[in-house]
Amino acid sequence: MGTPCEGCSLDNRGVFHPCAEEIQKWMQKAFEMAKDALDNGEVPVGCLMVYNNEILGRGRNEVNETKNATRHAEMVAIDQVLDWCHCNDKDPGDVFERTVLYVTVEPCIMCAGALRLLRIPLVVYGCKNDRFGGCGSVLDIPADNLPQTGAPFKCISGYRAEEAVEMLKMFYKQENPNAPKSKARKKD
Amino acid sequence: MEPQRKRRKTEESDTFLWEVLPVLSEELSQGIEFLQAYAAPIINKKDTSHLVKKLAAMYPLEGLQHIKRVRACRDKHSPHPLEIIVCLASDLNSKEEGGTIPSITALLHNSESDCTGLGEPFLVKIPAFPPLTRPQFEEASRHWPTSFHEDKQVTVALKGELFSKDEKATMQKYMEQAIEAAKAGKEEGMASVGALIVDPDTDAVLAVAHDCRNSPNPLLHAVMVCIDLIAHGQGGGAYNYKKYPACHFVPTDASHYLTNDNSLPSVNLSSLEQATESGLPYICTGYDLYVTREPCVMCAMALVHSRIRRVFFGVISSDGALGTKYKIHTKKDLNHRFEVFKGVMEQDCQKLSQL
Ligand SMILES: [Zn+2]
Ligand SMILES: [Zn+2]
Repeated sequence: MGTPCEGCSLDNRGVFHPCAEEIQKWMQKAFEMAKDALDNGEVPVGCLMVYNNEILGRGRNEVNETKNATRHAEMVAIDQVLDWCHCNDKDPGDVFERTVLYVTVEPCIMCAGALRLLRIPLVVYGCKNDRFGGCGSVLDIPADNLPQTGAPFKCISGYRAEEAVEMLKMFYKQENPNAPKSKARKKD
Repeated sequence: MEPQRKRRKTEESDTFLWEVLPVLSEELSQGIEFLQAYAAPIINKKDTSHLVKKLAAMYPLEGLQHIKRVRACRDKHSPHPLEIIVCLASDLNSKEEGGTIPSITALLHNSESDCTGLGEPFLVKIPAFPPLTRPQFEEASRHWPTSFHEDKQVTVALKGELFSKDEKATMQKYMEQAIEAAKAGKEEGMASVGALIVDPDTDAVLAVAHDCRNSPNPLLHAVMVCIDLIAHGQGGGAYNYKKYPACHFVPTDASHYLTNDNSLPSVNLSSLEQATESGLPYICTGYDLYVTREPCVMCAMALVHSRIRRVFFGVISSDGALGTKYKIHTKKDLNHRFEVFKGVMEQDCQKLSQL
């Protein structure tokens, strides 16, 4: 476990706010995951949850294998953090309050609700999600007045957004049987 | 003798202490928005059609096709039985000093010849949009006559008369099971919320769940558990509920999706096709959810992702996302919408929170 650099800070809640280098480091990892998913024909979303300079959860979309449409990358990563808490005898409430989510695409309304319920302090994401986005696009769950739904959280958006969009576009081109496959392949 | 006894019996079982009401979109449930307009009495009834034409050319009232240009004067003793809308207050240069009503000559650009036939103008309120429901129509009509294309189903639904007594009895049967599950969950130290998913075409209960948020996973709200139990029933699933016997599912035959089940309404068939087309498991397509209290935003969106058909809930919740804080089920930007009804066994569901 490393200590945060000088640019990073702890606020009065003891919440860790990463500096630019820190964000760059973790988002680089998230983008690598997304790229990896794309190469394997999966939804290209990279998502990781970092606590105390340590990755506790890495999610990928598991909708197909579980037949459960709610198994988004974020929900899967959350479960890994819960498992870690269980194995390390930590209180999940304390851990989530100091955990940052790095994700290549804006979390959907459901995942934003989940993150709020868990009192996550900060989400860093790449591109917007016009269809379901719950962190500003369709709804603004982190900022809305929902006193019974956990705690509001901060968002840093737009990190390498074009790249994240490009990966999604490539994925959906492959998915669409009408789109010429060769064209999608040429791009990478 | 016999028929009378029968009637009395049905009457007894037909009484429900609750009313089931639709949770409609903002558009349908909001009050009417009004615009200020100037109207003037028509001095000679015979000029009416001429005046209508002339004013329509001068002030076309664009986007207000639902407004009837002429109305009968409300004062029966008035010497002028008809009144006509001259223009919107916003049609005039906003330089007018506030409060004073311009003269008819000012409204008609000082052209004396055009002013003949109209009395002195007065302010009225006219509905800015066509009314969509009967309550909106009634409110609008109190101010100015408006055309209305009634959706009979919405009207019936708003009166709480959409469902027959038999249908309400079925709802009660399902909600009673959800309440039982909620109580079982409470015994396990969970929030007292219960949910149930049913295939309304076969009347088969496919999953019953209670809240499991005080298990190791705080996100296991009753709705999330119920959805996951449906996934289990279809050979998937993410969590294990062995510790909670009140949470259970019925394995669904996968061929259910492939057979030409005539009982499936066409509206579901089309979404079913979409589901198979994209290869994604929209596991709740065609199913109804019963839940004792209004779902939170996470659960509501999970129901969108799962393509639920209808949701029936008992009581509202303060951060609820199907009517109270949001109306996720009516959002046009989202790719699936569904019907929501509230009030099923409301009092019994309310009592759960006091357990
Ligand atoms: Zn999501
Ligand atoms: Zn919920």
